[in-house]
Amino acid sequence: MPERRNIRKITGLHVGLALLLFIVAIAVIGPSVSPYEMDATSLEQRLAAPSAMHWLGTDEFGRDVLSRMLNGARSSLVMGFGATLFSVLLGVPLGLAAGYFKGYTDDIIMRVIDVMISIPPVILGLLILSFTPPSLWKTTLAVGLVYVPIMVRLTRSVTLEVCGEEYVQSARARAEYNWYILFSEILPNAWPAIIVESALRVTFAILLGAALSFLGLGVQPPASDWGLMIAEARPFIASAPWIACAPGIALCLTVMAINLIGDGLRERLDPRLNRSRA
Amino acid sequence: MLEYVIKRLCYVVATLLVMSVLIFLITQIMPGNIAHLILGDFASPADIATLEAQLGLNDPWYVQYLRWAGAMLHGDMGMSLSMNQPVSGIIWGAVGRSALLAGISIVLVAILGIWLGVYAGVRRGSKSDHAISMITYVNIAIPEFFWAIVIIMLFAGYLRILPATGYASLDEGVWNWMRHLILPVFTLVTGLIAHVSRLTRSSVIDVMNTQYIRAARARGLSEKRVIREHALRNALLPAITVLAIDIGVLMGGVVVAETIFSYPGLGRTLIYAIQHMDLPLLQASMMVVTFVYAMANLSADLLYAFLNPKIRYGRGRDA
Amino acid sequence: MKTLFRIASLLTAATLPLAVAPTAAAAPKTELVATINSNVNFFYPGRGVAAEDYNFGVLVYNGLVGINEKLELVPELATSWTSDSAAKEWTFKLREGVTFSDGKPFEAADVVHTFALLADPALASRARSTAEMVDHIETPDPHTVKFVLKEPYGAWPSMLIERQLKIVPDGHTAEQLMKQPVGTGPFMLDSYTPGDRLVVKKNPRYWEKGLPRLDRVTLRIMPEDAAKIAALSAGDVDILWNVPLESIQELKGMSNIHVDEAATSTWDGFVLNNQLKPFDDVRVRRAFQKAVDKKKLVQFALFGAGAPTHTPVAPNSPAFNSALTFTPDIAGAKKLLAEAGYPDGFAITLNVPVGRPTRERAAVALQQMLKDAGIRVKLERVPYSRWGATIAGKAPFYMDGYLARPTLDTATYPWYHSSGSWNKQMWHFKSERIDRVLDEARLATDPAKQVALYKTFQEYAVEDVPGVVMYTINFATAYPDSLKGYRTHPYSWMDLRHAHFE
Repeated sequence: MPERRNIRKITGLHVGLALLLFIVAIAVIGPSVSPYEMDATSLEQRLAAPSAMHWLGTDEFGRDVLSRMLNGARSSLVMGFGATLFSVLLGVPLGLAAGYFKGYTDDIIMRVIDVMISIPPVILGLLILSFTPPSLWKTTLAVGLVYVPIMVRLTRSVTLEVCGEEYVQSARARAEYNWYILFSEILPNAWPAIIVESALRVTFAILLGAALSFLGLGVQPPASDWGLMIAEARPFIASAPWIACAPGIALCLTVMAINLIGDGLRERLDPRLNRSRA
Repeated sequence: MLEYVIKRLCYVVATLLVMSVLIFLITQIMPGNIAHLILGDFASPADIATLEAQLGLNDPWYVQYLRWAGAMLHGDMGMSLSMNQPVSGIIWGAVGRSALLAGISIVLVAILGIWLGVYAGVRRGSKSDHAISMITYVNIAIPEFFWAIVIIMLFAGYLRILPATGYASLDEGVWNWMRHLILPVFTLVTGLIAHVSRLTRSSVIDVMNTQYIRAARARGLSEKRVIREHALRNALLPAITVLAIDIGVLMGGVVVAETIFSYPGLGRTLIYAIQHMDLPLLQASMMVVTFVYAMANLSADLLYAFLNPKIRYGRGRDA
Repeated sequence: MKTLFRIASLLTAATLPLAVAPTAAAAPKTELVATINSNVNFFYPGRGVAAEDYNFGVLVYNGLVGINEKLELVPELATSWTSDSAAKEWTFKLREGVTFSDGKPFEAADVVHTFALLADPALASRARSTAEMVDHIETPDPHTVKFVLKEPYGAWPSMLIERQLKIVPDGHTAEQLMKQPVGTGPFMLDSYTPGDRLVVKKNPRYWEKGLPRLDRVTLRIMPEDAAKIAALSAGDVDILWNVPLESIQELKGMSNIHVDEAATSTWDGFVLNNQLKPFDDVRVRRAFQKAVDKKKLVQFALFGAGAPTHTPVAPNSPAFNSALTFTPDIAGAKKLLAEAGYPDGFAITLNVPVGRPTRERAAVALQQMLKDAGIRVKLERVPYSRWGATIAGKAPFYMDGYLARPTLDTATYPWYHSSGSWNKQMWHFKSERIDRVLDEARLATDPAKQVALYKTFQEYAVEDVPGVVMYTINFATAYPDSLKGYRTHPYSWMDLRHAHFE
């Protein structure tokens, strides 16, 4: 019996990690090992099917799809992890404050969060990005902003739970500094939930970032973000499906890898959290 | 419980008020001058100034805001600048169509998602559970826009058995109208079903392990009765709150699917308004979208509170 | 649960065949469905700004003068016209027996009213400058109008084919027409659902006997290209208006579908702001012109559906200067740049409008071409809502394009003359010799002299280089073989008077 459990552990989390490492490696060294320049156009080689010369075929400009894929990994990962990092950096302190100090602080923060959460993500991204010419970093920030409310809510409810615990009550009674309590008592207990939620958020951020790029609000041509590649490939979906399918499948694999990691982390870090929250 | 409901309702009203001010302010600072857009490239500065005065654009922003808010409350949403039609007609048409799509989709998501989740949860660890897990896993990972494009290519482009757009008016026949809805509904349902089924599944698993259920089994009740009468009620709680939120998502947040299927719903109207800087249309659509979204979130919270005994009976914290 | 599943699967099995089966094939029909890309926003033709508005205008209204697919002027609401020797007073005989769709007879007062509306600054019509060329209009009798122009203008009748110059009935304000359009055209408005479709029905009072042959035309608003093509091959629509250039070959390969491709003088080009560095130096502008491989651009941007050119003058016009060639010369470009003080090239941003696929593709190809000459181009896409405020006439380097114009003068003057309306919003270009030759050509009454002058103009234009006109774009529509009596029009509107199914 123990042996079976061991194997199951290896399957989930480790597969995910391995896959993700592979994708990160592609993002980092991909551009230097790609067979062609990602924006090298060629009239003769337009819309060519996958072949020995072009493993994933070419697009309508004759650009090598494989090279563009290797270059595009970076923007998806940056958007996913960067946006989540931003939402954690902004959301966790706010959630801690709301859950710990309660009262007016809590009310104000939660009302602001209510307002933000009333706007559908794509619409919020659209609005933010219609002010200025979009770019990778602006889109990352916009996506991060979209997910701040969720991080705040999550951190707040975990904080509320932990605050009820005895050791926290006694620390407060001892009039310990708030900082101290927050960092040494509350945060360590809140981390597992935050990490698990963040892992999930990364997948949403990647998909939202790809959707915004698809709508033209993310990375700009001729850069080769995967969402953008799918958008550009639309007119040729029937005649040259590889142009859209390669980045589409890449996005799926990346998201699946991170989901595996997230689930694996959840099982390991906190069995209590097996129930997913709405 | 009542106190909780009233409190939440007040918050929603306050949220909408704040949203209206925010939306108005956003449209004030967006680059692009309305008068310039109406009059076109050749307008002289004098013409633009006249039109701006006519539209009341020179008044201080709070005056303009109050004028706009007052009109909105009377149901007058102004004239669309780009379409030269009253905004209310455009918006209510879009709302109706979004509601239609959302209604059909949510029913299917609820039925199929919950059923799948219960089926998998009850048979935890079995082959079918693993199969369903695999499928939902892959499903969650597929970007919605990619999925939409692929099925359009497959069913409309390659097999040619379904149309490539999502909307045909009822005047052309009910069957035709239904045919057009098949692909968008399919896309939306597959996008939402995985989350609901996974949630239901883990919920069912948790509930099945509780004392309560073990006791019911011990009393000799059949497995079917145990599930139906005791487990389901508690297991469905998280799923129902997600479904309530999903209604909001389907109404205003499926912009990408509406774009790809040319479905003239609320999300697409909003994108159109942003792209064309059609401020009256933009302001009205944003208000309607946030209203629907806020109501959906509110219903989710209220449902959760209602069904969660801790909150219902006054104990426990704000969810 | 199991019963629910059973019921659900039964229901699906029952309805699926019905849902999936296509609607029954129609008998030879008298109703036509065409696709357009976006809403028709202006029912009053004077304010039309987009191709969709022009399509509507052609179905519901008429102008005094028309232009056919071979680009010949034909009488429409005017049956004949003459001018005095100075080409300043133009007399048009109006067609008799014409009534508007509401029964009001067409007469000279309607023409006067049409032009009065167009000249009104509050309406901001695109054709206002044309209306302002008229000093006053005389109406000696109800079926004759005499335009007295402010300046002599030999090509005045050609101006009257313009899309905004459709004749509207006297006594109707522009606002009224915006809600209830009333015209003399072959069709009249039936219903309109913005975002979905616009339906026009046969005008029983139309003045051409026996026309139109269709009872009803539905314009379906379909912005998605894939949807249009699927609809056409499924028979859900009859005319795919404005075939996306990348799909022309695919559609030509379909049996039963006919693709009608017409050469037009609609052109794309890139703008170099002559007032901003580094484009204030003509050598830099010439270098950009040398670096461009127009044949490749036609392939990349248009998938071959077009032709390289150097001027907005129509390629089939006798005034087109075919002696001017365009071979790329990277070495020459680099040399010019070095002379101008940029031996290592420079970096610059190229603005591209969102939603104009030909210009977007051209920009990507252009970026590569300029890279070889040492120019490092960064692409920046800007949506149209911001274009007017931030790019047009202000940005140093951007992609642009224009529809065909009816006369040599209107195709060139606004862009190349230092007082030209487009010039002042674009490249801020001034060349004294071009100003002179364009002014002279405008006044020339001898066609041979006009041709010679415009040819000289084109020579000057490729040396003084305000910006670069890259290519002309073909326009194509696709329709089933069963549709007869319809051809693609180079001005991109749909003339459906003779269209019918067999």
